[in-house]
Amino acid sequence: MKKRLFYFLFIPFLFCQCEKDSSEPVKGNVAAGTGGSLARFAITGNYLYSVDENQLKVFDISTPRSPVLKNTKDVGFAIETIFPFKGNLFIGSATRIYIYSIEDGANPKLLSSAISPQVMRRCDPVVAKDSVAYATLRTNGPCGGTQSLLAVFNIKDITNPVQVFTYPVAEPYGLGYKNDVLYVCDKQRGLILFDISDPYKPDPIDVYISDGSYVDVIPYQNTLICWTTTGVILYDITDNRNPVLIKNIN
Amino acid sequence: MKKLVFVLFTSLFLFSCDPKAGGIQGPLDTYVPIYASMSEVEQISVEPEKATAIPGKIYAFGNYVFQNDLYTGIHIIDNSNHDAPVKVGFLNLPLNTEMAIKGNYLYANNYVDLVVFDITFPDNPQFVTRVPNVFPPVDQDYPPFTNVYFQCPDKSKGIVIRWEKQDIPVPKCRR
Repeated sequence: MKKRLFYFLFIPFLFCQCEKDSSEPVKGNVAAGTGGSLARFAITGNYLYSVDENQLKVFDISTPRSPVLKNTKDVGFAIETIFPFKGNLFIGSATRIYIYSIEDGANPKLLSSAISPQVMRRCDPVVAKDSVAYATLRTNGPCGGTQSLLAVFNIKDITNPVQVFTYPVAEPYGLGYKNDVLYVCDKQRGLILFDISDPYKPDPIDVYISDGSYVDVIPYQNTLICWTTTGVILYDITDNRNPVLIKNIN
Repeated sequence: MKKLVFVLFTSLFLFSCDPKAGGIQGPLDTYVPIYASMSEVEQISVEPEKATAIPGKIYAFGNYVFQNDLYTGIHIIDNSNHDAPVKVGFLNLPLNTEMAIKGNYLYANNYVDLVVFDITFPDNPQFVTRVPNVFPPVDQDYPPFTNVYFQCPDKSKGIVIRWEKQDIPVPKCRR
C-alpha cells in the first residue's frame, strides 16, 4: 500500500472553509458564524448544508426566516462531518470521503470518492489554509500499534491532496490556526502549539496548555475558544504564541 | 499492511466482546431512559444560565459563544467583555446537537426538525419557525457514556430525551 494512497483515503476531515481562520472580523449582521471542526451543519452562501448518517441535505436560507429543504442526496453511510472549502463540500465518513462541487449551491454534484481499506483508523476534523491542509489522524480505541498523527497535505490540486509531513500526537482531536500558529487538541497532553511559518512543516513550539481535556478549538479574532470535556475554556491569543487563560466556563 | 489491519481488527473485536477487557474496574453505573412525547420534545424555552452537563459542539458569532449541551440545548455565552465572558442563558432545545448561524438567525436541530431562532438579542433567542421531519431521529439508543449498564430503551414508550443515573438491578444492556 502506497503511503500516499493510504493518507488520501483518510482525509475525510481534511478540509474546512477558509473562514476557520476567523481572525477576520464579523461584518455587520449578514456574516455567518464560525463552527468547530466536528460540525454536521455548515452555512456557505445562501445555503445551510447538513449531513446525517447517510444523507446530505441542502436548505435554502436566502429567506432567513423560512428555510426551504431544496435537495437531499444519498451520500453513503457513517457520515460524520461536512466542510465547505473553495466551492466544494468535503464529506467525511468513517471509511470514505466524498467530494461534492457546490458551484450550483442547491445541487451538489459528486466529484469523487475513495474507499478506506482500513476501517479501524479514523480521522478528525481539520483546517485548510491557502494550499495546505492540516489533519489529525487518530487511532480508534485500543487498536495498538499504529501512531496517531498530525498530517500535513499539499492541496494545490484539491481533488488530489498529497501528504507532505507528519508529526506524532498522542490522542489528537480538533485543530485550528491563527496566522502562523496551529493549535492541536491532544486529549492526553493538552493543547499543542505549532509554528506554521513554513506551512508544510509545522514546528512544535515548546508550549503545552493543559487547563483541561481539549476536544476542539475555534480561533476567533483574539479569542481561542476551546471545547473541553468540562465545558468551554477561552484564551486571549492577541499574541498567538502565548495563549493567556481568560476563563474556564463549566 | 494486511497483517497490520488484521491485528488491529482482531484487537478491537476482542475488546468489544469481552466485558472484562479494557481495564474496567469495579461496579458500573446504571442508567435508565427518560421518555417524552413529541409535543414535549418540541417544548422550547429560554432559561437562566446553568451549569454545563455534557459539553457539546461550539460555535462563535459576533461577541457570543455558543455551546451545545448534549441532547438538552445551547448555552449562550456573552463575550462582549473580552476579559470577562459570562454565561447569560440557556436555550432549552431537546435533542439538540448541531447549530449554525448566519445574519442573526440561528439554525439548529430539535429531534427530527430544523428550527430557526432570531438572535438579534442573542441572550434571548426568539423562536421563528420549524421545518418538520427533515432529519433522522437523534440517536438515543444508548446513553452518551461508555462502560455503563442501561435499561434497554422501549420505543413504544416515547422518545428518549435523556438518561438518568439510577441505582437499579443490573439491566440487560451495556456499553
